[in-house]
Amino acid sequence: MKKIHKAADLKQIKENIIKNSGKGKTLITICGGTGCNASGCEKVISAFRREIKKQRLKDNVDIKITGCHGFCEKGPIVVIHPKGIFYKQVKPKDVKDILTETIVKGKIVDRLLYIDPLTGKKIIYEKDVQFYKGQKRIVFANNGLLDPYKIEDYFAICGYEAAAKALTNMRPEKIIDEIKKSGLRGRGGAGFPAGLKWESCRKSKGTKKYIICNADEGDPGAYMDRSLIEGNPFSILEGMLIGAYAIGANLGIVYVRDEYPIAVKTMKNAIEQAQKYGLLGKNILGSDFDFDMTIVRGAGAFVCGEETALIASVEGKKGEPRQRPPFPTQKGLWGKPTNINNVETWANIPYIIKKGSKWFASIGTEKSKGTKIFSLVGKINNTGLVEVPMGITLKEMIYSIGGGIPENKAFKAVQTGGPSGGCIPKELLETPIDYEKLKEAGCIMGSGGMVVMDEDTCMVDVARYFLEFLQDESCGKCLSCREGTKRMAEIITDITKGQGKEGDIELLTELAKVVKDTSMCGLGQTAANPVLSTIKYFRDEYETHIIDRKCPAGVCRDLYISPCQNACPAGMNAPGYISLIGEGRLTEALALALDTNPFPSVCGRICDHQCMFKCRRNQIDEPVAIRSLKRFIGDYEENGIEYPSIVYPKEIMPFKVAIVGAGPAGLSCAYFLARLGYKPTVFEKLPVAGGMMAVAIPEYRLPKKILQREIDNIKKIGVDIRLNTEVGKDITISQLWSQGYQAFFIAVGMYGDRRLGIPGENLENVIQAVDLLENINLDKPVVSPAGKKVIVIGGGNSAIDAARTMLRMGAKEVTILYRRTRREMPAYAEEVEAAEHEGVKLRFLIAPEKIFGEKGKVKSIECIKMKPGDFDNEGRQKPVPIQNSNFFIDTDIIIPAIGEFSDVSGLFTGLDVETYPDGTVKTDKHGRTSIPGIFSGGDVTSGPATVINAVAAGERAAVTIDQYFTKDRTRKYSWREHKKVDTYFDPEAEPVKYGMQKPKVLPPIDRKGSFEEVEMCYTKALAIKEAKRCLRCDLEIELQEKLREEKPLEVKR
Amino acid sequence: MIELTIDGLPVLVEEGSTILDAARFYGIDIPTLCHNDGLTPYGACRLCVVEIGKGENAKLVSSCTYPAEPGLVVRTNSKRVTEARKVLVELLVAMCPSSKTVQDLASAMEVKKVRFKVEHNDCILCGLCVRMCEEQMMAKAIGFVNRGKDRKITTPFDMKSDVCRTCGGCMYICPACELRCQGPDAETDLCNACLNVQPVCLKEEDNKMCFLGTCGWCYEELGRKKKK
Repeated sequence: MKKIHKAADLKQIKENIIKNSGKGKTLITICGGTGCNASGCEKVISAFRREIKKQRLKDNVDIKITGCHGFCEKGPIVVIHPKGIFYKQVKPKDVKDILTETIVKGKIVDRLLYIDPLTGKKIIYEKDVQFYKGQKRIVFANNGLLDPYKIEDYFAICGYEAAAKALTNMRPEKIIDEIKKSGLRGRGGAGFPAGLKWESCRKSKGTKKYIICNADEGDPGAYMDRSLIEGNPFSILEGMLIGAYAIGANLGIVYVRDEYPIAVKTMKNAIEQAQKYGLLGKNILGSDFDFDMTIVRGAGAFVCGEETALIASVEGKKGEPRQRPPFPTQKGLWGKPTNINNVETWANIPYIIKKGSKWFASIGTEKSKGTKIFSLVGKINNTGLVEVPMGITLKEMIYSIGGGIPENKAFKAVQTGGPSGGCIPKELLETPIDYEKLKEAGCIMGSGGMVVMDEDTCMVDVARYFLEFLQDESCGKCLSCREGTKRMAEIITDITKGQGKEGDIELLTELAKVVKDTSMCGLGQTAANPVLSTIKYFRDEYETHIIDRKCPAGVCRDLYISPCQNACPAGMNAPGYISLIGEGRLTEALALALDTNPFPSVCGRICDHQCMFKCRRNQIDEPVAIRSLKRFIGDYEENGIEYPSIVYPKEIMPFKVAIVGAGPAGLSCAYFLARLGYKPTVFEKLPVAGGMMAVAIPEYRLPKKILQREIDNIKKIGVDIRLNTEVGKDITISQLWSQGYQAFFIAVGMYGDRRLGIPGENLENVIQAVDLLENINLDKPVVSPAGKKVIVIGGGNSAIDAARTMLRMGAKEVTILYRRTRREMPAYAEEVEAAEHEGVKLRFLIAPEKIFGEKGKVKSIECIKMKPGDFDNEGRQKPVPIQNSNFFIDTDIIIPAIGEFSDVSGLFTGLDVETYPDGTVKTDKHGRTSIPGIFSGGDVTSGPATVINAVAAGERAAVTIDQYFTKDRTRKYSWREHKKVDTYFDPEAEPVKYGMQKPKVLPPIDRKGSFEEVEMCYTKALAIKEAKRCLRCDLEIELQEKLREEKPLEVKR
Repeated sequence: MIELTIDGLPVLVEEGSTILDAARFYGIDIPTLCHNDGLTPYGACRLCVVEIGKGENAKLVSSCTYPAEPGLVVRTNSKRVTEARKVLVELLVAMCPSSKTVQDLASAMEVKKVRFKVEHNDCILCGLCVRMCEEQMMAKAIGFVNRGKDRKITTPFDMKSDVCRTCGGCMYICPACELRCQGPDAETDLCNACLNVQPVCLKEEDNKMCFLGTCGWCYEELGRKKKK
């Protein structure tokens, strides 16, 4: 091997390499990075080698095993150059097809292509993949192109040109000046300007100086430094060579974790190769500068990422930080000036020298320049490494590059900066990624870990996890960090176990601030971030844990009975009544269901069953059909179940309560109040009770008879319902007050239809969906759609209800127009599916512009096509109109169904009840409005929601009203206590695998012209069979308790 | 000589002094625990923190390790400093509630209640003994092992040390294994009486001589009883 003595030699070698490299040959690059290794790229590589030999393609193709490509989610990744054909998740059995189809015939193997999750289109070329498109790759750019064991590959892509430029043409001061001008800041996390650090080290007195590359990457979920060393160690060497020359150091040390064996191997190999070429050693590139390098392997202590601890570790001492000053640039390794930079910082240097500080400074924000590599992990579709310019927003990062949250769940928080970073909530997703902006949000840039969390994450538990990590990884030298993290972890663990006390949040905050303020090194100073940021943004979650003893996300096992019960807003004991059904004890089951919900039959039909999404049975096959089982016991008359006998309350409460609105919230409040001995009066403006349940839900989903029966049952326990009485018009609240009513529960719901706000809306045959459904339900005359074309506008449940109703009434053709995509429809998926079965047409990304009429009646509608635009904080893409894409649809009837609003101004005349601008009533968590004695709940406070949410709101209000009268906050409410059922269950038995028993449905052909219920009820045998599928998660706690009792207590000293 | 300001007072100290040296020289009291004049500064107990810098850049540093720099503005008793010290000493008491040194520090800072779960450790990991053994006794028989919450001081491999001469220097300097005050009944309460009240046993009760000397515990007890 010829040594490189001067810059010209380098050029010569590069030209030779390019000349000798296989021209005209196809190059297959296979990712050999950490992620792809885990997905089995080794086998793919050997399959390629075998197959190439077998097919005698050696002269046609070259294969190259590269470092990490970044898109780890889809590994193993194979890219075929020069075209850049991108194949994902390649298995050994696919190798043959790739060679015969793509290499020999030049065709694309369709099944290996990447499908864009948003558009559903197949992507052929790497450059078109959205994950790569949103990035700007500088440091990471060559990872997918070179073999990390061949320095020649690096020469071929202009490697060491920057070093040649620096060592032959630039004075050290000039280099430092360039780095200062570029604005490069330390990529290890704290963001100290690299140029200043270099200058300080250069100016320090002493002839012997050192530089160190900090590759002690230890954040859980972060692996960008590792991938950089494993993919392109040469750029780091080159950066360090330039740095050493500028600073005047003659020895460089790479401190790398021993847990990274591949990184150690590639780095060692790179150093050896550089030594062979004379790029390390004496008189490098013809200059009078000597520099050599060595590797020190770290034993894997997190704290050794801190520079003074790292130095102690290199010196062979215990990896413990010491108080700065003196800074390492003054007094570092062996007491000599030492400059420590992170892997990514060093890797940036060659690019800055080569392309100039101006170019580098043009990327990024005012104070944060260049790009940053993040490892995007957690609950995100596109897990992997991304390099983005500074200043990109978190929203773009998560929804555009990251592809959003899996399974369409809701985003909750993103944690940046590893364990000592903070959590950023949904509201702050606009935050640009930038050292200062992240700090403002209570976070740190850190070395680039980015963990995305979805709705199933408990933020208290997250804080607990990171504190556990930190208290183990704290070196323990200084009191504040060692004891502080321990005590914080102790308090938070108590909170997650349901032993939290009032005042805990304040104590945590106080302690966290002191730990942050007084700790010796960066670890302690940032250790409080997870606590402080979660308290800042998710305080209500802490409060729910401490006060209500509940974990909304269903993570803290000590705080809930079963995932389904925890997910139910009303807290129904699903495992209880299901197991009773399983034993055929149906009356008991119904009694248990009625204990927490007066509408089992209604909810058995139209609930959005949050419980079923959390059902653990789903991990085996399918969730338990909780909703259908509830309906089975709810339809007690039809199924021959004896109705449980009513226990009337012992004491009679002498207070009069008025409830305004006989919807699910109002009636539930009345039901629970009546069970406490009150005699509430419900005022309803309509001629029927039931609110939206009665007027907005079509007969085929909820028969009137069933609803009426449940309302009658509520009446039986002492609730008075006065129909045709509108409070605010027929009688006012003050009048009721003078009649002796002392508490008012306002649950009037949302009843006004939102208007489209387009011309032609007042034409005949433009009918608001809620009006239409209400008129049909109240048997009022409506326009007959028989033989006509109908257009429904909107994507919610009322749009679907209106469309299906129109079809049943004989409409020739029903089309739903929705301005977003199917993925974003708020309607229940099963309803949408049923509507399609029945023949409703769905058209997406279309918005109405103008309605045209003839003789005052609707004739046609002008629409405009939309395309998905920027993401909002929820991850939905805002639809943007496509210019000049207008078109017309002929139609006879138009039904807008774009949402409801509420108007309570008439109700509260003369009363100063606070409301929000959208007309909803402002209340606290317990349903109290700004005026004592007036309570509110249901849709009128929360906006449009579900029946079960309204039931929960009614129950909450009943408790609040009771406490308002009794002034007793410790009162026990029988339905709030968990009721154990004495059913038999063998926890040891293996669950028998059989899927969900689906109730029969009416065939679509029979649905036309009929309002008969679509979904039928279970038979008793089928219900029992289905109920047996329940895994009884509720017993877990009981079993644990039993085990705990059996175990002898730990003896404490 | 270096000129700096401590608590508004311009002071002159020799080069190489720490902030703590400077403050003590001028009679400004800064509480310390892991510091000892005969040993190298360690900066572990954090009790000696002082505030330096201005505005957003103001930060707390351990005065025992921070070198006196020209023009430095130091505040030894700002709100931020005292509040931090109170929490720190509370953490110390929770670790080792029976140490008289720790109790006295707490009393001086008017910390009367411990809000954390009380442990009864023998050691507060101040590292005085380790430095004593190494620097004054030239033995290096003991050192720290493990990290984080498992950190402890012991001989290598927990075995009897060959280099230990059982000189007792470690015990001499230990703030945790010395004279213990048992304190009032509830272990989370500190009575502070010894520092805050004059010895009163004889005043209140004619014949009682307290074996603990001037502790004032009985006086506090009496007050409690009277309240009840």
